[in-house]
Amino acid sequence: MSDIAVKASDRIVAKDRLTEDWLSVAIGVLVFALALFSLSGTDLLGWAVTTSVYSNLASALGPFAKGYAWLGGGASLLATYAALLLVLSIGVAAHGADVRKFALAFTVVFAIAYASWIVGSYAYIAAVTPAEQQKFGIAWSLKLTNEGGFVVALLSGLVIANFLPRFANWLKEAIRPELYIKIAIVILGATVAVTAAGRLNLASSILIRGAAAIIEAYLIYWAVVYYVARKWFGFSREWSVPLASGISICGVAAAIATGGAIRARPAVPVLVSSLVVVFAVVEVLILPFLAQTFLWQEPLVAGAWIGLAVKTDGAAVAGGGITEALISAKAAAAGIKYQPGWILATTATVKVFIDIFIGVWAFILGYIWTNHIEKGPDKAKPSEIWERFPKFILGFVVVFAISLWLALGTTPDIAKALPAAAGEANVFRVIFFILTFFSIGVLSDFRKLWQQGFGKLAAVYFVSLFGFVIWVGLLISWLFFSGVKPPLAS
Amino acid sequence: MSQAEFERELNNAAEPLLPIEKKLIGWSLGIGVVSLAILVVLNYFVPIPI
Repeated sequence: MSDIAVKASDRIVAKDRLTEDWLSVAIGVLVFALALFSLSGTDLLGWAVTTSVYSNLASALGPFAKGYAWLGGGASLLATYAALLLVLSIGVAAHGADVRKFALAFTVVFAIAYASWIVGSYAYIAAVTPAEQQKFGIAWSLKLTNEGGFVVALLSGLVIANFLPRFANWLKEAIRPELYIKIAIVILGATVAVTAAGRLNLASSILIRGAAAIIEAYLIYWAVVYYVARKWFGFSREWSVPLASGISICGVAAAIATGGAIRARPAVPVLVSSLVVVFAVVEVLILPFLAQTFLWQEPLVAGAWIGLAVKTDGAAVAGGGITEALISAKAAAAGIKYQPGWILATTATVKVFIDIFIGVWAFILGYIWTNHIEKGPDKAKPSEIWERFPKFILGFVVVFAISLWLALGTTPDIAKALPAAAGEANVFRVIFFILTFFSIGVLSDFRKLWQQGFGKLAAVYFVSLFGFVIWVGLLISWLFFSGVKPPLAS
Repeated sequence: MSQAEFERELNNAAEPLLPIEKKLIGWSLGIGVVSLAILVVLNYFVPIPI
């Protein structure tokens, strides 16, 4: 059982995971705070690199703000890399990691991940409308939008994990998908707030409908998957609890939290987590394209479905980003131009709602196990609810609340300048998404599925996910979100 | 956990479902289905203005 996915997941266990949560809050809030300086006319992050759809590579890169155009694409890419390296190195040093190893590995991770993003922005891959194809002088394109770069990053990671395992092992110090996605989710709070401020009623409606996801994940999915694992596959309680949590709630975080709550040996949720990551990759490679094909006329059903069906925060929220890009592209080709952000916001809302209750569910299971199943002196305590609460959600809520207040409760000048500030922070959100996709790919060693013993775990996962979770998620998403459309872009 | 231990564990004879586990599964499903039904009905008859 010594494969890279397990080793990497090891870092997430218990105490380390909490530290990583607070680290993601600190970095996410720092990016947001620096972006807010632009409200006062001081642009501190405008040098960050962005990539446009291109047919000539020389025109692909550029700084986000026109005021920094003199930098050019190359220098802005280097500045972005240097800034991320500095901030993340300080962060992982506080986390107890080997900074030198991290810096070397991160340099390679950033280079491959961002190169994948640039490849994904090539016109033949990304151009969507006939007008764009004409602009770039091409007769066809895959129409993936430039967010097709996420898929390229994921595939690059998969190739490394499955064909270059030694290289994957060398990169592991910088392969931190949980950290990257949590930072991205904290930053995402600003974009979601700016999007919500434009249509407050629709945003409130999505929030209330998102509450159904909590019931579905904890009370329906969990009970069914636990029953399947125990009754049909004969797993012990110690294996069935993390397995049910991993498949039904929120992948890695839930498997580890509930495994700890029932006092399972640490290796059990870690092994389950490595399986969760592999299946999440399979889902991200399939579900957004299914959503584009069958749900493009119901964009918010698609967004909610991805949040309910794809496990792990990283894969789900990033999968929501791909789904938004694919559906927006298909809708645009049919002459419908939706305001950006609503599909991703729906996915993120559903996922955050589910995450909030991980601590409560872990406590309920811990209480039942320590009082009724394996009675002993080590009883579950209410303080464990806070200990197991995913703290990065606090960062998301703080950034969301401040942004919403700036959009609705201050002067019109500030409200008008806020979207640009949020857009500046969003550049880093996209970069952390890219790093997440690449890292998930590097952790996904598909050879694991053929290892003796793992097949039985994978069988429970396969039966539950593709036989139940995905379809019930689709039904519930349809019941609550069908007919609710994002506003049209003006 | 070694490969051999891992395989042995997964192939161990099943622990029977205890009454408390049956209760947990039953109550979770019951509360879940009823709550969802209530939300669906509310969503249908008292739609949230958009």
